[in-house]
Amino acid sequence: MNKASRLEGFGFIAPLLVLMVVAFNAPIVYMLGLAFWEKGRGFTLEHYEGLLEAPVYLRVLGNTMRIALIATLANIIIGYPLAHWMRGLGRRGRMIALAMVVLPFWVSILVRTYAWIVVLGNGGLVNRALQWSGLTDAPVSFLYNELGVTIGMANVLLPFLVLPLFAAMTRIDDRLLQAAASLGAPPRTIFWKVYFPLTLPALAAGALLVFILCLGFYVTPAILGGGRVPMISNLLDTLINQIPRWEQASAISTILLIVTLLIFAAYRRLDRKASA
Amino acid sequence: MKRRTFVGAAAALPAVSLLSGTARAQVKEIRMIESGGKSGESIEVGYIEPFTKKTGIKVIRESPNSLGKLRALVESGQTSTVLMELGSGTLVQAKNLKLIEPIDWAAVNPAPMFPEARNEYGFGYQYFSTIMAWRAGAKAPKNWAEFFDTKAFPGKRCLPDFPHYSLPFAVMATGVPADKLFPLDVDAGFKKLNEIKKDIAVWWKAGAQPPQLMKDNEVQYVICWSGRVVGDPAFGCNFAGGMADLSYFSIVKGSKPEDRAAAYKLMYEMSLPANQAKAATVVSYTGPSPELDALLPKDKLSEFPSSKQNKAVQWFQNAEWWAANGEAVNKKWEAFKLGL
Repeated sequence: MNKASRLEGFGFIAPLLVLMVVAFNAPIVYMLGLAFWEKGRGFTLEHYEGLLEAPVYLRVLGNTMRIALIATLANIIIGYPLAHWMRGLGRRGRMIALAMVVLPFWVSILVRTYAWIVVLGNGGLVNRALQWSGLTDAPVSFLYNELGVTIGMANVLLPFLVLPLFAAMTRIDDRLLQAAASLGAPPRTIFWKVYFPLTLPALAAGALLVFILCLGFYVTPAILGGGRVPMISNLLDTLINQIPRWEQASAISTILLIVTLLIFAAYRRLDRKASA
Repeated sequence: MKRRTFVGAAAALPAVSLLSGTARAQVKEIRMIESGGKSGESIEVGYIEPFTKKTGIKVIRESPNSLGKLRALVESGQTSTVLMELGSGTLVQAKNLKLIEPIDWAAVNPAPMFPEARNEYGFGYQYFSTIMAWRAGAKAPKNWAEFFDTKAFPGKRCLPDFPHYSLPFAVMATGVPADKLFPLDVDAGFKKLNEIKKDIAVWWKAGAQPPQLMKDNEVQYVICWSGRVVGDPAFGCNFAGGMADLSYFSIVKGSKPEDRAAAYKLMYEMSLPANQAKAATVVSYTGPSPELDALLPKDKLSEFPSSKQNKAVQWFQNAEWWAANGEAVNKKWEAFKLGL
């Protein structure tokens, strides 16, 4: 009976399954295979060997990870206090703050990225304010460097960190904190010994999610990096669209996929802990 | 009764498919992939409109025109797109990758054209130049050595994020004359770029970036495509030492013969100087007719890449060299960018 109804259910998801296999899994397998199989020549590892011989592409991958790490740290530094502050708000305050965090989701990433040019450019709002107040004489270069890319990426990804963190923080029982206080712990100790450890799994899970999303960023580095911040997606664009060496792009994508999957496995472990 | 209708329907089937077969032979529309923007509009106004008026065939334009897209089209066995716009370098690459087919020049039967525009694999339809430009008010450099001299000509630079549009100028700045540029001394070019890399604020990928960055006063000196800056009082520019290049239309491999026949007729329209003059009213890039200068407005001749006075002071991109060395240079380019 149970088995039969399970089979019946399968009938409902079969179309979706077929769609996923045909439209998603099959192309990925094909893409992975491109680097190993060449028409008329059979199996080859030369595209991976090429990566080792000229490690510049791997260095771009390393650079991508470094920038993803910086952007993730920036997100934590902004996001953690923000989520904590939101927890302390009243019902209405929380609603408004949440709306403010989620609102940027409704604006296209392209528009948001271009908006930074208006804000941070040499003739932008921030630089004009800085010069008007006499803090600087010459405009500060916020854009077209790693700083600009980091700001743009942190802005786009902040909700991915704040939302799970805020959810975990609101689940923390106030009585635990009161109990710690009643035992004589000063606020600092309560934070580090009770509060922070309880939020840590959600923080780690959110940070890993942000990190993984950073690895694949294309638009933000392309616009705010000014071509001076090499990242792997932009390199893949060159290899796929301009050169076009799909085999090499496939080898790099495979390495990127493996790295991402490893990080995702870590994320799953932490996420399970966080929701337990 | 039922059965007889079935048989009748089955008998009618081949006839129907035959009919649609002949209908398809009379081409109603063809598809092209072009580079988009103003250039695409100029194709529409200059060439597609007279072509459609004469033949009744519509042309559907698509963009952008990356080489990867062409490879995907051909490898997937498509037959719907017949024309593909390619740069001089990508034309050679596409030919080597067997993604395009030779043009039947007898079928095109074009009006007189400059010889370099008549390529076995491509119809050179549009001249464009890569030149130096500066924000109005900045000190004007006269040659590439001056352009790369950031002490005598202070200001932020914006250069193409493509080695084949940036490196040759860096090599010229070291004193190599245009006629001795190829084979390109790549290392000398990188050395020169390394000297001034602190002053290069942005490496552009899209042609619209350099003029916008100059207007925003983010940069003062750029290397960019001529059509983006000529005739605008906000900028100064100089064709001297600039690089002339051609955009081509090529026949996509595997496209249908009847589509090709229509495409050749469209190429014929592209060879007519009157149509080229119309296209040049939309964008300051020019067609391949030697008689075109006479049809262009006299006061604007200085703005066009292939007008006599400008063609004489420029040099021509060496597509063959880039097709052979492009990938190796590109790796060096990525390494150079990592060191910025």
